[in-house]
Amino acid sequence: MTPGGRPRVAGLVLGAAASLLLPGCRGRGAVPAPETPGGTGVAATPPEQIVLFYPGDDTLLHRERREVPELPGAVPPRIKLVLGELLAGSRDGWPAAFPWMATVEAVFVDRAGNAFVDLSSPPPDAVAGTATEVALAYATVNTVVANCPGIQRVQLLFGGREVETFGHLDLSRPLVPRPELIAP
Amino acid sequence: MTRQRVLSIAAVLVLAAVPLVALTVNTPKGAAEVFARGDLIDLIELLRLTGADVQFAPAAGSYNALLDAHEAQFTPGGNLAVIDGKLVSLPGPVRTLEGHVVGSLATAGALLAPLGWSLRGTAAAPELVASGGDRLEVARVASPTGTLAVVRGTAQRPRLGSAPGIVTLTFAGPVTLGAPVPVEAELLGGDLREGTLTLRLAPGIEVASTYPLDDPPRFVLKLESSGTTAASAPATGEARTGPLVVLDPGHGGEDQGAKGPAGELEKDITLALARLVAGRLQAAGVTARLTRDGDEGVPLADRTALANRLRADAFVSIHANASPARGAKGAETYFMNVDASDPQAAQSAARENASAPADTVQLILWDLAHVANITASSRLARGLQGRLDALQGIRDRGVKQAPFVVLTGATAPAALVEVGFLSNPDEAARLTGRASQDELADALSEAIVGFLRTAEVATEPSPTP
Repeated sequence: MTPGGRPRVAGLVLGAAASLLLPGCRGRGAVPAPETPGGTGVAATPPEQIVLFYPGDDTLLHRERREVPELPGAVPPRIKLVLGELLAGSRDGWPAAFPWMATVEAVFVDRAGNAFVDLSSPPPDAVAGTATEVALAYATVNTVVANCPGIQRVQLLFGGREVETFGHLDLSRPLVPRPELIAP
Repeated sequence: MTRQRVLSIAAVLVLAAVPLVALTVNTPKGAAEVFARGDLIDLIELLRLTGADVQFAPAAGSYNALLDAHEAQFTPGGNLAVIDGKLVSLPGPVRTLEGHVVGSLATAGALLAPLGWSLRGTAAAPELVASGGDRLEVARVASPTGTLAVVRGTAQRPRLGSAPGIVTLTFAGPVTLGAPVPVEAELLGGDLREGTLTLRLAPGIEVASTYPLDDPPRFVLKLESSGTTAASAPATGEARTGPLVVLDPGHGGEDQGAKGPAGELEKDITLALARLVAGRLQAAGVTARLTRDGDEGVPLADRTALANRLRADAFVSIHANASPARGAKGAETYFMNVDASDPQAAQSAARENASAPADTVQLILWDLAHVANITASSRLARGLQGRLDALQGIRDRGVKQAPFVVLTGATAPAALVEVGFLSNPDEAARLTGRASQDELADALSEAIVGFLRTAEVATEPSPTP
């Protein structure tokens, strides 16, 4: 954590949920989600099936496939749904990606393929350690990108604020997925 | 980029006692009325009066306003907008009222400014005017030579002034501020008043030098620690006589870092390890400097800046890990990532880091230097990880890449090493034991010395046959 046990913030206040539909993000059933972020996957995933990423003891991210009743076509609700599933925890026994009971507060998407995801703020000192930061950041980024064609980068906001860092990773800008962090 | 537009439009807000009011706008094409309610005005009509092309995307419920290559995207129901690709917070929400998209005058001003327009006058009688001046945008940029504050959007050479904690730039020609000054590390925001841009600096930060750049025109301020910060204080070692390495004990002060099950603190372990490594390096003829030599907080940017200022041959940030996976154990080493999939960011960085106009040749040279540094950082990281692998009980997690703040802008080969997991009780106990710390210090110092030796070989000229 940064001094004071709180994340550094850049003063950006997220007031209310706002969303822009990303052009090119298809509705249900139009285009299967890639198996892995960055277009490295090959297997087609049915629209109702999503893939989530959870950390393991090897500090890599592990896939967990899950079926959902309906996958929204519009990007913001789609992101909320898949992240809601991620934050609900693993059904396969993987550790939680987030060290606190995080919730998705708002999602904002721009036309450049950036998704801005506002999550509830962590309690003081909840986020410690590089592996913890990597897990929460890239579980989120990889999950969003894997389940929403057209999204290329994800920036995490906490409590409506832009966070520079929890002490290690640069969270002040959108992150691209890192397929190499996914277990083979 | 000097706007020669002298167009000026007077707008008169007719505030009546009745709820329905209208903004009467005088333009060269004639007067126009804009829907208003109290202090809320129709943003779409106001934007269109500037000549902006405003389009509505029904599926998204969002509006895009385009004018002179500038773009503002906003959505009724929120107070966020994406302006020229950057997410910004508006002063107030955008609302839908009686079929109109409305916002406060402040919100309107925030949307108009990036498009080169502004609202002046009073709330009762505002004027919609073309800014007619340069639209300034300030960005903090981490470059190989240090942190820069880049003032974009002007070819003017401002008159500089300074006072404790601030620097002022007074422009002779008209200017407006296109976006809020960032609050980020060395920069603590700023404002523009009557042609003077005031930048607030973090404690201990001062402007070391300034220079203009062209294509696109911009004015650059190089920021450095003033010499009173912990990072710039001498740590260990005397004058440089050979290779120099900067060791960075992670965290410190109020920032305790990770905490072990028995209360072990990462900041204490990293400092103890760094001191041990420094002693071993000194014995091997390598000058070692620490970014902190006590329990004190040092900004992340200052840690890298120290290595850059000393022209270090290597920068190693030492940490202890923690994971939500309680069984996680072993060492990990990271170096700065290069996102080949993010060419826009790479190109932007290349431009900002170039010391002359960003032509193609410079971009190529910057890219070559950057790649060379990444390659050396990779070699340093692999050397550190390899030595830690050799230690009994340490499991290899390999070398990884990620965007670490403390490695950003490092001109020396740089790596961040996680010596073990404090979240694992067994490893936490091991990391606090002196014998284990000695083993870790041996491994780290041997890896660093080995890296320096191979670096010397790599830089020696090839013998002539």
